[in-house]
Amino acid sequence: MFPSRAKGLLDFCMAVLCLWAAYHHTPAGALVRRGAAWATGTRSTARPLLAYYDGMTGTSLSEPLVAPEAPLARPLTDAEALAWGTHLALKGLDVRARQPVLALATELGVSSTALLDAGEGPDAAKKLHAALEADFPGDEARLTALFAGRVPARYALERVTAEGGVPTLERLAGQLPPGFEGASVGAAQALALATAFGLAWPVHEGARVSSPFGERLHPVLGTRKMHTGVDLSVPTGTSVVAVSAGVVRRASEDAVNGRVLVLDHGRGVTTAYCHNSELVVTVGQRVERGQLIARSGNTGRSTGPHLHYQLELASRPMDPLKFRTALRTAAAQGLTP
Amino acid sequence: MPPRPPAASPPSSNFIADVSRFLGGFRWAFMPLGLLALVAVGVHSAADTLDDRLLAVVDRADSLFDALVGRYDVTAPMVEWLSLESRTRLARMLALAWELSADLVLALPALGYREVRAPVPAEAWRAAMGQQEARPSWRALWTRCLRRPTPMRWLRPLATAAVALAGACAVARLVQGTVYLSWRELMGDSAADVAARGLALGTLLGVLVSLGWRAVLRNLQAADAACEEDGGKGAFRRGLVGCAVVVPLAVAAVLDASPVLSFLR
Repeated sequence: MFPSRAKGLLDFCMAVLCLWAAYHHTPAGALVRRGAAWATGTRSTARPLLAYYDGMTGTSLSEPLVAPEAPLARPLTDAEALAWGTHLALKGLDVRARQPVLALATELGVSSTALLDAGEGPDAAKKLHAALEADFPGDEARLTALFAGRVPARYALERVTAEGGVPTLERLAGQLPPGFEGASVGAAQALALATAFGLAWPVHEGARVSSPFGERLHPVLGTRKMHTGVDLSVPTGTSVVAVSAGVVRRASEDAVNGRVLVLDHGRGVTTAYCHNSELVVTVGQRVERGQLIARSGNTGRSTGPHLHYQLELASRPMDPLKFRTALRTAAAQGLTP
Repeated sequence: MPPRPPAASPPSSNFIADVSRFLGGFRWAFMPLGLLALVAVGVHSAADTLDDRLLAVVDRADSLFDALVGRYDVTAPMVEWLSLESRTRLARMLALAWELSADLVLALPALGYREVRAPVPAEAWRAAMGQQEARPSWRALWTRCLRRPTPMRWLRPLATAAVALAGACAVARLVQGTVYLSWRELMGDSAADVAARGLALGTLLGVLVSLGWRAVLRNLQAADAACEEDGGKGAFRRGLVGCAVVVPLAVAAVLDASPVLSFLR
């Protein structure tokens, strides 16, 4: 197949290609890059080691940016949620990672200033989505096109199709060569935020928020601790429903969380429901939005009947109230003593 | 008896042959590193498909642990050792530890890769005098695998073959993406697409032909040497932990990380 006199050249080229791939795409390569940067006193460009296993590639969402500055006036449609997610994720990206989106905005006559503006940003992002919808009907492919560019997204989509799988964001990002890591992070964050905007509420809308998200004096321990969810004051036996379709990742009981359920909704979004009196689903079970999953209670470390509802984006707890409309939030908090 | 001088190499015929001969002088450096890199890329491709499953395992283990320690007031605070948030981090740390362990088991032997020239008749007396240490051939290794089978002799080379295949696919995928996206403006869409597909397929075959089989052979040699050293029942027990580490990754490499046919579509 290959002339024997060129064998040395072939072996050399193949070895170099493997070294290049390992250097850029493995944690072992990242360790080498960090070591080299440390030895030479320069700054390593390698990603954090754990980000190599992360669909969200980079993981942390920047807290002040994830939620809208003003509460939403009304529930969002799917397209609006995607636009909001895009706008907020874009604000969190560094200048270099924003370049493909801004280039696309310029091409379509959308102001890049408007795209980053708190008031006009979601509408501007919606225009970008509308322009890409014909070529990329799927949300995940469209977000890849938006953050990485149309050509890389089309290429990634063709590759995933050739491999014979569902074009998820993680698989699309896996097809892109070095240099698109920032774009993949942006797209993943936008998708997680958009999904969070579309979540329902686990109990009836009027349920009082008895303890909000954030640092507080723990009612049992008496020490200051981070409260990683919201406590919804509901009587024992109240129906708890899935806020979105997903898979039950955990259904267990312990002395702190009581009877606890964790649902994985995909797209980097997870929700947890603690202190229930009864769990009606099992681990691995697929649940639909609005399906009864538990009955609230007072189990575990709890001072009264309530539901502890927790939302995680990219494995980080977020305030669920920031993803509700102003009307609903006011209704729930207005009853708070 | 002075050794006979080696036969003069044929005169160079063209530039490629000259470059190839020059680079061939550095095989001692780039071949072991290339083998190491190929196995590392393959192991990562496989490990990357396992992190979600590891998360499920961590969830189950944490549920059991919480249920156990939650029974008693003294141990109840231990429930909070692993928060809902930190379990994902733990699962990824386990994936990283698993991958690096597999690298140690499968990729590290590649650094011991050495090429020896086939013995020429004039120097056969060296081998006869025991002065030239020759590594066993494929045939000898295969015979020992059949006659004295051990988990290490069978599983390590098979696992290496699996991750080498996954690694070759990962390298080919990177080449295709890089070539297409960087050459597109230069050559036009169609030409860049054809070039990228051709180079990806060439890379896949080239990596397997050039490095893949050598990685398998080197692991077989390392496994064989370790088993020969112990002998008997010791050889059977040798490297069992390493095998347990790499076999699930090898299965994942074949099932989830080796889209060979996608390069033909």
